[in-house]
Amino acid sequence: MSTEVAQRYVGASVARSEDPRILTGGGKYVDDVKLPGMLHAAFLRSPFPHAKIVSIDASAAREAEGVVLVYTGEDLEAMIRPGPYGISLMMNQDKPAFSCLATDKVRLVGDPVALVVAESRYLAEDAIELIDVDYEDLAPIATYEQALDPTNPPIFEDLGSNVLAESDLHTHGDVEGAFARADHVLSVRINQHRHQNVPMETRGFLASYDREADHLLVWSANQGVHLALHILAGRLGLSPEKIRVRTADVGGSFGLKIGATREEVAVAAASMALGRPVKYIEDRYENLMASGQAREEYLDVEAAYSDDGDILGMKVHMVVDAGAYPGMAAALPTMVEGMLPSAYRIGALEFRSTVLVTNKATYVAYRGPWAVETFVRERVVDLVARELGMEPFEIRMRNVVTRGEEPTSMITGRSLDGVTVRESLERMAETVDIPAFRRRQEAARAEGRYLGLGIASYIEAAPGPRAGQSPLGLEQMRMELDGDGKLLVYTGQMPHGQSHETTLAQIAADEFGVRFEDVRVVVGDSDLVPPGFTGGSRSATMAGGAALTTARALRAKVLELGAHLLEANVSDLRIEDGAISVAGVPSSAMGLAELVAAVQEPGRLPEEVDTELKVANSYDGGAGGWSGGTHCAIVEVDVETGLVTFERYVVTEDCGKLINPAVVDGQVRGGVAQGVGAVLLERAAYDERGNFLAATFMDYLMPTTMDVPNIEISHLETIPLDPDVNFRGIGEGGMIVAPATIVNAIEDALAPLGVRIHEQHLPPARILELAGVVEPE
Amino acid sequence: MALLAEHGDDAKLLAGGQSLVPLLALRLASPSVLIDLGSVPGLDYIRGDDGHLAIGAMTRERTVERSDLVKSSVPLLSEAMPLIGHLAIRNRGTLGGSTAHADPSAEIPAVAVALDAQVTATSSKRGERTIPASQFFQGFFTTALEPDEALTQVRFPVAGPGTGVAFEEATRRHGDFAMVAAAAAVRIDDGRIGDARIVTIGVSDVPVRCREAEQALIGVEPLASAFEEPSSLAASACDPPSDLHGTSAYRKHLIRVLVRRALEKSTRRPKEQT
Ligand SMILES: Cc1cc2nc3c(=O)[nH]c(=O)nc-3n(C[C@H](O)[C@H](O)[C@H](O)COP(=O)(O)OP(=O)(O)OC[C@H]3O[C@@H](n4cnc5c(N)ncnc54)[C@H](O)[C@@H]3O)c2cc1C
Repeated sequence: MSTEVAQRYVGASVARSEDPRILTGGGKYVDDVKLPGMLHAAFLRSPFPHAKIVSIDASAAREAEGVVLVYTGEDLEAMIRPGPYGISLMMNQDKPAFSCLATDKVRLVGDPVALVVAESRYLAEDAIELIDVDYEDLAPIATYEQALDPTNPPIFEDLGSNVLAESDLHTHGDVEGAFARADHVLSVRINQHRHQNVPMETRGFLASYDREADHLLVWSANQGVHLALHILAGRLGLSPEKIRVRTADVGGSFGLKIGATREEVAVAAASMALGRPVKYIEDRYENLMASGQAREEYLDVEAAYSDDGDILGMKVHMVVDAGAYPGMAAALPTMVEGMLPSAYRIGALEFRSTVLVTNKATYVAYRGPWAVETFVRERVVDLVARELGMEPFEIRMRNVVTRGEEPTSMITGRSLDGVTVRESLERMAETVDIPAFRRRQEAARAEGRYLGLGIASYIEAAPGPRAGQSPLGLEQMRMELDGDGKLLVYTGQMPHGQSHETTLAQIAADEFGVRFEDVRVVVGDSDLVPPGFTGGSRSATMAGGAALTTARALRAKVLELGAHLLEANVSDLRIEDGAISVAGVPSSAMGLAELVAAVQEPGRLPEEVDTELKVANSYDGGAGGWSGGTHCAIVEVDVETGLVTFERYVVTEDCGKLINPAVVDGQVRGGVAQGVGAVLLERAAYDERGNFLAATFMDYLMPTTMDVPNIEISHLETIPLDPDVNFRGIGEGGMIVAPATIVNAIEDALAPLGVRIHEQHLPPARILELAGVVEPE
Repeated sequence: MALLAEHGDDAKLLAGGQSLVPLLALRLASPSVLIDLGSVPGLDYIRGDDGHLAIGAMTRERTVERSDLVKSSVPLLSEAMPLIGHLAIRNRGTLGGSTAHADPSAEIPAVAVALDAQVTATSSKRGERTIPASQFFQGFFTTALEPDEALTQVRFPVAGPGTGVAFEEATRRHGDFAMVAAAAAVRIDDGRIGDARIVTIGVSDVPVRCREAEQALIGVEPLASAFEEPSSLAASACDPPSDLHGTSAYRKHLIRVLVRRALEKSTRRPKEQT
């Protein structure tokens, strides 16, 4: 007899549990939480990128209708302990020190200068206009050059300059040898532009301090409740047991909503001072201007390659614009360095980096934060192909590793075990007939039409290879069988679009033996769930594995109890559809609710039997692994208007065993949509004086359904690495590789005009500049 | 009207709200009084009137778009309507609101200027007056309306036989305001161009009538080769602004392309119809 569990749910596109609620408007977000006596916060924000605060007169605002409290930065200094905010706690970014609200200086357009708490948001905003701040202009640092210029004033005095971090030269492999052997060296600076996470729900935060109980309840739109809790405890000087952080539904984040930010700590401090609930919902203007931005960096690359198209080595200097109030940017170059060779046999790499602070919004995590490694590498591959007059696809096939052959790891040390980029390229060539496209492209060019085909490949740490014996970090989970026989799953994952309520329930239902409908996934409450966080394409393996092993452990416990109750051997028992029975004896079936009741009945079981129907478990990631794949775009560029249209967009990818194909495809599509936005539409633009130019949706253009092509997706067969857990995350890949894919396609279209592209953002005006049709400004 | 006279500059008329409400939300406008035109009767109509089509200020953009009468009498207006924002916006936005708002990239003002439409302004003290479209639009969001005046109607001349029209635009995304657009209405008499009207938007603070280009077309046979020069004339006659969506040089180039495309399309149209 087999004790194998039947997989009824894993692998099927089970309809999302979240959908009925969210799609019918029943979702509940922080803004939907209303507490008695609740007040509303608004922030006065700096109109200048860099200025000294000479004085603040808030007297008129304090007297204004409905205003309960006004705090300046100085007021808050006395109440708040110095330390990290937002993502910087996770990234160990402890320098420079900065205050909750601006005190001495403002450091970006949108820097919070004062907080007003009033009876309504309208009244709070009215009062904001009455605060009089006297600023004295300082030279803005808005470009790489300005930040590197030692004669410019430092934005943070304790840094002494505007260089936040500078690495030594790191060498992997025989760099000099590779360059000596090379027939050619390509030298380029490749730019990625500033763009940003634009979740549908902006940041939202509600703090409610109960003086009597000395307890702070917080509702926060967040990717993980515990990190927020620890920052709040640290900055407010409360012990962690005195704080409970909850989330409601979270309407997207993409890396933005991590920890507790400066504004959120200020609002919590106000609630503590007042003993009343205070809500702050960021508006879109604030979200675009001041919540965080990402991706602004360039890489100076020298690539050594042979006449045959072998890429032998690279020398790279990476420069990052961290914005003000640094969060994660200093941690970025190490990630980029490690990933740069990806699945190619690039045998040598020299890497160094410089991270700069500027008068712009904080550089935050955004879906695949290190994605510039893919953009740059996949651009370099195409540029080399163009120099050699070779088909870019062929160059990829020449350089990509083959499973089972050397090298089995990147020159930077990361194992490539289980990587199937080669297979994804082969699948792409079966899906898209490249030679046929070349013929069509030729014919179209003769008619003055410019078609282009672009391919790019990537891998994504999902959660990444297991390095030696070191665990990947533990994912915790608790499960509990409740009185009516339902399975409760407590996870530290905080879904904000990833569908964990569905996917974790699928795994738990299969492993435990209940119906999918009888699993409830509990998230987002620091009093209930174990520590955790959703980010970095980790959760499919980590939380998926935790769900699998925890459900197994609880099942073993229930079987043990069942053995007593049904007077049978554990090995003869099975749990199916929420009932436990002796195999082959349907009449023996006992519903799980009945089992729970029986277990609790005094005297029913021997004393020594553990009757707690709860299990706490943790999972170490098993064998780990990568997901990855290849994307292909076919575009047409109108060389009269510079507008780009998609003819086809194809994805071949491998994320191991699919838990829910519809969810996977949704993640891929969302990522590609953001990639379309990055290349064609989205830019968090500043001028050279540090003024922010894209503070509304008229200026910061998001892709709509009309702009995103139909995306054809195919999945590769799994290469199992682990006996049990071969699910791999897929959250970031679409956004990691789509920009390179699209830029490669656009360059391919414009190739007859001699165009070479070294940047990611290609609005129509820029395309015509590159094509030589209009003069650059 | 009395309310408007009483509150003058402190008041704002609210029509479809698709431009005014965003301005309020961004705190770029903070009038102390909002006067809702939605409850004013008799401003929602489309009717023929002595060689013209008269459209009431509160007629929704979507109603204009779907009107057969507009399609047959003022085809350029019909052509322009679907290019305004998205369906949901046109369901609320009004012809009068768009005209009074005078966004330099808006389509309806372009049509009004191209066709020499007449705008009716009404005040409680002075009654009605008629303002030619060419004088109505005075600058960015600025019109000839006095603070106590409301726009009540726009009259468009009915297109003569042999007229072909086209409205060509370049937008970053579907539904966006045009970076640049070109409207053309061309009448062909006996195989030659008898009348040409060309207007560009997104290039100045008001819709720009391209008179030189129009002149260059009169009496010309409508062949593709004949449109290069007028398109270049239209482009060289303006000095468009630079912004995030496009540089001045790019916009200038677009004008040439779009005017040429509009001329090609509009001169194909009368033939297509016969
Ligand atoms: C996302 C989006 C995209 C859009 N895209 C386009 C586009 O591509 N092209 C385009 O042309 N428009 C576009 N619009 C604007 C839309 O067409 C507006 O509806 C229109 O410009 C204003 O009409 P309204 O009736 O909504 O006026 P309101 O917003 O109600 O009013 C606008 C202004 O006109 C004044 N006003 C209104 N009616 C009168 C009157 N009868 N007399 C005097 N003053 C009056 C108001 O006081 C106010 O100052 C877009 C809007 C949005 C939100």
